[in-house]
Amino acid sequence: MTTYERQKFEVFSGLKGSRLLMSDDWKEEVSKCSKCGKCHTVCPVFLETHDESSVARGRISLAEALLDQQIVYTEKLRDYVYSCKKCMRCRKVCPSDVDYEKIISALLHGVAENMGIPLLPKIIFRYILPRRILFDILLKVSSRVQRFMPMKKRGQMRHLPLLFMGKRWIPTLARKSALQKFRKTKKIKNPRMRVGFFTGCLINYIYVDVAEAVVEVLNRMNIEVVVPQRQLCCGTPSSTMGDVKSTKRLAEENRKVFESLELDAIVSACATCTKAIKNDYLRILGPSWKQMSDKIYDISEFIDTFIGDIPGVKPLEEKVTYHDPCHLLWVRNISEEPRSVLKKSSRFVEMDMADACCGGGGIFTIIHYDLTLKMLERKVNSIEKSGAATVATNCPGCVMQIADGLASRNSTIKTTHSIKILQEALRKSEART
Amino acid sequence: MLFKRKKRTADIDRKGVSELVRALGKDRVLTEIEDRLCYSYDGTKQKAVPDIVIRPGTTSDVAATLKIANRHGIPVCSRGAGTGLSGGAVPLQGGIILDLKGMNRILSICPEDFTATVEPGVVTKYLQDEVAKYGLFYPPDPSSAAFSTVGGNVAECAGGITGLKYGVTRDYILALEIVLSDGSVIHTGRKTRRSVTGYDLTRLFVGSEGTLGIFTKITVKLIPEPEKIETLAAFFSERDDAIDAADLVIENSILPRTLEFMDHMSISAVRGYGGITLDEGVKALLLIDIDGTGENIKHDLPIVESACRKKNALKVKVAETGKERNAIWSVRRSISPALYTIASHKLNEDVCVPRSKIKELLQKIDTINEKQEIFVANFGHIGDGNIHVNIMYSDEPGQEEIAESVVQRVMEEVVELGGTISGEHGIGNRKSQFMELEISPQELSIMKKFKDFFDPKGIMNPGKLFPSSL
Ligand SMILES: Cc1cc2nc3c(=O)[nH]c(=O)nc-3n(C[C@H](O)[C@H](O)[C@H](O)COP(=O)(O)OP(=O)(O)OC[C@H]3O[C@@H](n4cnc5c(N)ncnc54)[C@H](O)[C@@H]3O)c2cc1C
Ligand code: SF4
Ligand code: SF4
Repeated sequence: MTTYERQKFEVFSGLKGSRLLMSDDWKEEVSKCSKCGKCHTVCPVFLETHDESSVARGRISLAEALLDQQIVYTEKLRDYVYSCKKCMRCRKVCPSDVDYEKIISALLHGVAENMGIPLLPKIIFRYILPRRILFDILLKVSSRVQRFMPMKKRGQMRHLPLLFMGKRWIPTLARKSALQKFRKTKKIKNPRMRVGFFTGCLINYIYVDVAEAVVEVLNRMNIEVVVPQRQLCCGTPSSTMGDVKSTKRLAEENRKVFESLELDAIVSACATCTKAIKNDYLRILGPSWKQMSDKIYDISEFIDTFIGDIPGVKPLEEKVTYHDPCHLLWVRNISEEPRSVLKKSSRFVEMDMADACCGGGGIFTIIHYDLTLKMLERKVNSIEKSGAATVATNCPGCVMQIADGLASRNSTIKTTHSIKILQEALRKSEART
Repeated sequence: MLFKRKKRTADIDRKGVSELVRALGKDRVLTEIEDRLCYSYDGTKQKAVPDIVIRPGTTSDVAATLKIANRHGIPVCSRGAGTGLSGGAVPLQGGIILDLKGMNRILSICPEDFTATVEPGVVTKYLQDEVAKYGLFYPPDPSSAAFSTVGGNVAECAGGITGLKYGVTRDYILALEIVLSDGSVIHTGRKTRRSVTGYDLTRLFVGSEGTLGIFTKITVKLIPEPEKIETLAAFFSERDDAIDAADLVIENSILPRTLEFMDHMSISAVRGYGGITLDEGVKALLLIDIDGTGENIKHDLPIVESACRKKNALKVKVAETGKERNAIWSVRRSISPALYTIASHKLNEDVCVPRSKIKELLQKIDTINEKQEIFVANFGHIGDGNIHVNIMYSDEPGQEEIAESVVQRVMEEVVELGGTISGEHGIGNRKSQFMELEISPQELSIMKKFKDFFDPKGIMNPGKLFPSSL
């Protein structure tokens, strides 16, 4: 027997920390974790670090320690909480069905409440995001300024509002945002459906071509597309920093906008926005959102569900492969639908590990830039191996990240949103007939 | 930078730490509470917080750690993926937790010799997938293969569902590089398929649960991958019929790749979960994989089927597609989570009896639980006699005590029947109190002498394996 004298286990006193963590619903989730370790198999962060602090099981044990008042909020804890990509892969494989999202959201909230949110993001979340015009102006200014900054690092912000915070730069902002472009709804005679389009920040300000493709494709299918002018950011950037108040405000504003319109469905072309408005809003706004939530679709999901066989489309000659965005696959289980649409509009080829994370994702890319790059490298390797000429995906964040990875290797492979493939196929088919 | 940072001093500052930092570098020595908490548990849900987390990258890092630990008498608990079910990787007495997960390279695969050499942190499934690229097969297949490590498997001598035909981890370990408690490094075994030079130290270390030394390199034996696998599920209305059917399969000289059993309670737990329909009348289930060449299987499959029919199977289903095979196995894989729908706590015992005693064991368990105060679900590797006895209990007062007394009596019966208290999960601290049921004082004292020889200061995973009286 050793005579080793154990370190006195420090218990912090005067815990202002754990106040927020006392609500029972997520306490129960914490105790459901059987500590089996299965979440190791899917966590993209753990795959790189092999460190327990990077995986659900480790973070759950930290949550447990907060509940037991063994620790308080510290910078280290914040780093570990922020290093979760919130991709929810772990949730999908967890045999004990732990609602990890509840736990990580509570931790993020706890971090924000107890350690504060840095001033800049706070201003953005609370004062700029809820005001569309101000956002428009500030974004333009800030992007101009950034382009003159000496430290142009490769890599980009996944969620546009975070543009203000990092030293990264983003692709050129469009002259005219999607919202401005689609001020007026193009009337369709006897439309088969009337849908609302939730653009999300990235598509609105940068990938306006994706918005055009969404509107054009749906119009061609005899569907009227309404682009509500007063819609706001989905709230993901503020929720990933635990700013519950701002997130709630954005959700409520968006609710007003969409509930006031009579729509058969709402589509989004951004995996993260779809997840936010369809899933997260249920938690934020409560069960009264259920009726709207049921009407929200990813664009490919919508086409596959309501159109099925796309009339008049001939597949492109081009080989196209598909990357699964985490928020579509792991949160919503959508993987067949985008492939099904791509198969109808191109020569589809599957890549190895299509479901591996591309490494993009909000604040993670700021704090763990090195890990982001490693994930991106894996992704780009599999894309190159697939032999495809184009990689398509259903998330503008992933488009941005992957395009950057391919560009840095001077690859000729193009990155695009899968709705653009369909748009092109439809246009070409029409030209041929 | 987005955040301002306060400089934080390490939580602990004690002898040994600064030496460790000097020897290994700052990044490999973690002492802050957040890190230590993340290494305080394993698959048993027990918790003990280590004082220092070491994340070595090489054998010499491990050796340096042990040298320092030995000098200061700091306990060292090694850890693979922390999936163990006997508490092996829980640092009961604090000290150092040695996280080997980062040493995870496959060093070589030699198809011509049928061997592979790996670092201990390699995930078992990864090794299996990599050797499969050469048409080779590493059979030990614990249900945790996708996330447990080869090092942890060797330390626990992990079993798995292929044990009946292919044996357990022990049968595939040819050679080990081991760091001993004083930091010296030894090499046991050879890379050859056989070697009888001297005592078999390799075997002594396999299953030693981190109490004798730390594996830093592991050479495993591989075999050719079978050409084909077929899967079959047989449904029974009587438990004994299922056991008889399993016997009959083997009496017919057929050794299935897997021969799994589920009892009434396990079935009722998975009824809503699994991929196949389980009528109320189904009270026992056999899940059988057979493998080999196409010819073999053509010969074996009808025999297995008819054995099940002869023993009154209600239905026998052979999977026709990969999807059906998955559906069948998903039933087995759902048991663990599904059991939690019965009660919120589980004591999972992995006892093993001679195959001929299985019926008797299950009857004994029925008797022990005659009053049905508690739910007991039995399933497992019936082909090996390795039955997982899962004692489920709730938070209600008194339940835990009942559960523990059931375990105690099950253990007594198992030993009485000539069985063993652990077929694959190891002893750790969870079962050390039962050691004396199975192991005689004389044997235990021999084991203790080995322990004292290799670890005179008692720093290697203290509190494990031996009953506290020793
Ligand atoms: C869902 C689930 C299913 C499971 N199914 C099975 C099963 O079918 N069959 C089975 O046998 N087990 C099973 N287990 C138990 C567990 O996975 C095994 O015991 C596994 O071998 C542990 O590996 P690990 O890497 O997680 O080791 P850990 O839990 O980290 O450690 C286990 C022991 O090994 C020691 N150790 C680890 N690495 C080394 C090393 N390099 N050198 C020396 N000692 C070391 C530790 O000190 C500890 O005593 C299961 C566990 C879970 C959670
Ligand atoms: S959400 Fe994703 S990154 Fe976070 S722990 Fe789960 S798998 Fe890992
Ligand atoms: S998979 Fe689920 S139960 Fe298992 S350790 Fe991870 S979170 Fe816990």
